Amino acid sequence: MRLGVKIGLAALLSFCAVLLAVCMGSVPLGVADTLRIFAHKVFGAPLPAGVSTASVAILWTVRLPRVLLAFCVGAMLSVSGTVMQSVLRNPLASPFTLGVSSGASLGAALVILTGFALPGLGGYTLPLVGLLSGLLAAFLAVTFASRVDRGMRSTTVILAGMVFSLFINALLTLLYALAKENIQRLLQWQMGGFALRGWTELWLLAPVGIVGVLLVTGFHREMDLLTFGEEDAGAVGVDTRRVKWLLLGLSTALTGSAVAFAGVIGFIDLIAPHIVRKVFGARHVVVVPMSALLGGGFMAVCDMAARVVTAPLELPVGAVTALIGAPFFAYVYFRRGREEGGA
Amino acid sequence: MSIVTLEDVRAGYRGRDVVHGVSLAVEAGECFLILGPNGCGKTTLLRAVAGLLPSRGTVLLEGRPLAGMKRREVAGCVALLSQLSQVYFAYSVYDTVMLGRYVRLKGAFRVPTGADKRCVERCLAAVGLWELKDRMIDTLSGGQLQRVFLARTLAQEPRVILLDEPTNHLDLKHQTALMESLRAWTREEGCAMVGVVHDLNLALSFGDRMLLMRDGRVAACGKPEEVLRPEMLASVFGMDVAAYMKRALSRWEAI
Repeated sequence: MRLGVKIGLAALLSFCAVLLAVCMGSVPLGVADTLRIFAHKVFGAPLPAGVSTASVAILWTVRLPRVLLAFCVGAMLSVSGTVMQSVLRNPLASPFTLGVSSGASLGAALVILTGFALPGLGGYTLPLVGLLSGLLAAFLAVTFASRVDRGMRSTTVILAGMVFSLFINALLTLLYALAKENIQRLLQWQMGGFALRGWTELWLLAPVGIVGVLLVTGFHREMDLLTFGEEDAGAVGVDTRRVKWLLLGLSTALTGSAVAFAGVIGFIDLIAPHIVRKVFGARHVVVVPMSALLGGGFMAVCDMAARVVTAPLELPVGAVTALIGAPFFAYVYFRRGREEGGA
Repeated sequence: MSIVTLEDVRAGYRGRDVVHGVSLAVEAGECFLILGPNGCGKTTLLRAVAGLLPSRGTVLLEGRPLAGMKRREVAGCVALLSQLSQVYFAYSVYDTVMLGRYVRLKGAFRVPTGADKRCVERCLAAVGLWELKDRMIDTLSGGQLQRVFLARTLAQEPRVILLDEPTNHLDLKHQTALMESLRAWTREEGCAMVGVVHDLNLALSFGDRMLLMRDGRVAACGKPEEVLRPEMLASVFGMDVAAYMKRALSRWEAI
């Protein structure tokens, strides 16, 4: 199948995923009604008689921003995972490899346990502190790696990230042991989700996501070259140390921002890039945008499942991404291997 | 002016020198080969000339000190085919060779132009891989893969081509074909080729001049007949190379 057709199908699939996620919920909405409400709100088209104002309110103020936020977070985590796997040349590398989630969790835990709020920010203290502490953890890990190994070899970066993650997780465990009464809230944040998120969060996160994905795409040739090894990339003209710092920084910023608003949601960052490479090939000029598109669509569907399956009780999105993603990943990733093995 | 000049170059790893005070000059159009036993510093010397390893002393590329050049400038002048190329994700042969154009791509989006495509096609033809241009590199043999990376090195259009054991993985026919095409390329383009080889017969057949290294130092440097002298080879390799070659030749003649 031609690449253009594949990209078109991926865009259609992603659009359908978002539409499905918007339609489905405790109050289901028809596809036609959903599109009519959208046209009414965006283009000022008249609202048909059969559509209630309650449906408009549910779709416009609750469901659409939540689904779009889920799409945005999924896209950012997937692109971040793509960067990590390519730069570190490790199929198991993910944005969380550098300790972003551990750092963010520790920052969030401190805010939750102390009740600390930055003046003028109120409820946004938690995501902001989460973001900053996630970035700080990753920065410390990469700085440490660059100090012990000037070439910043992949193994050094991964090991440094692991060391920092384990150390921060140990601090987090100590906090859990010391403050048992707040554990529920802390666990809820750590499991991730999009409940009670609206347009404000979306307007804050979307620009970061769009700019981040575009900047990462701009480095597609450098990522292509880095997959052949640091020596090869350097010989062809890539300033490997600088480019690695930039890409790891971009990836960490994407993950940190997503985690700040949605909590820790794993797995999607690991599987989306692998599936995209299987379908679209290895060139990052295609892999990065397709990871964003399909990762976003997948997250929207997972969030829908988290809302719908046990309604009114909501499941943690992180668990749903793994439950749906693991078998799908196994099917896509190992099917071709089995076919090649049998050939 | 020499295309590459080395003056008292020292380089190594973790503060310990492997190359000690090497000085030489390579001219345009020349096929310059580096020989020596394992661990004598051949690859280290190549990496230092490519600017991938910090070195002391002076490396001049067309008269410009390597020390003051940016990574992109170095890659526009020197290309290295290393022994350590790895395949982690599967790209097509064509796309892999196009990556060699990295420093030549122009414009905000660095989209390959007609000239870039023609250059890639020429490099693929030079290494005999034009028919395989659409194949994925993870389906190639070791020898074919080595030629893909060589084509990528040529696609940089460097003034100096550094080759670290370029004939690794190749059968005899492909070894000679590759060396012949490289020599022709070097002369047509007016660039220089500096290659590490282990095969003394190959060195004798294709080297215009050569450097024989021992323990990171220059044991001999000059034309093949000046370097490949029996007593010199015996002292560097610790065996009677000439006698070994003659014995092998007499066995061939007996077949």
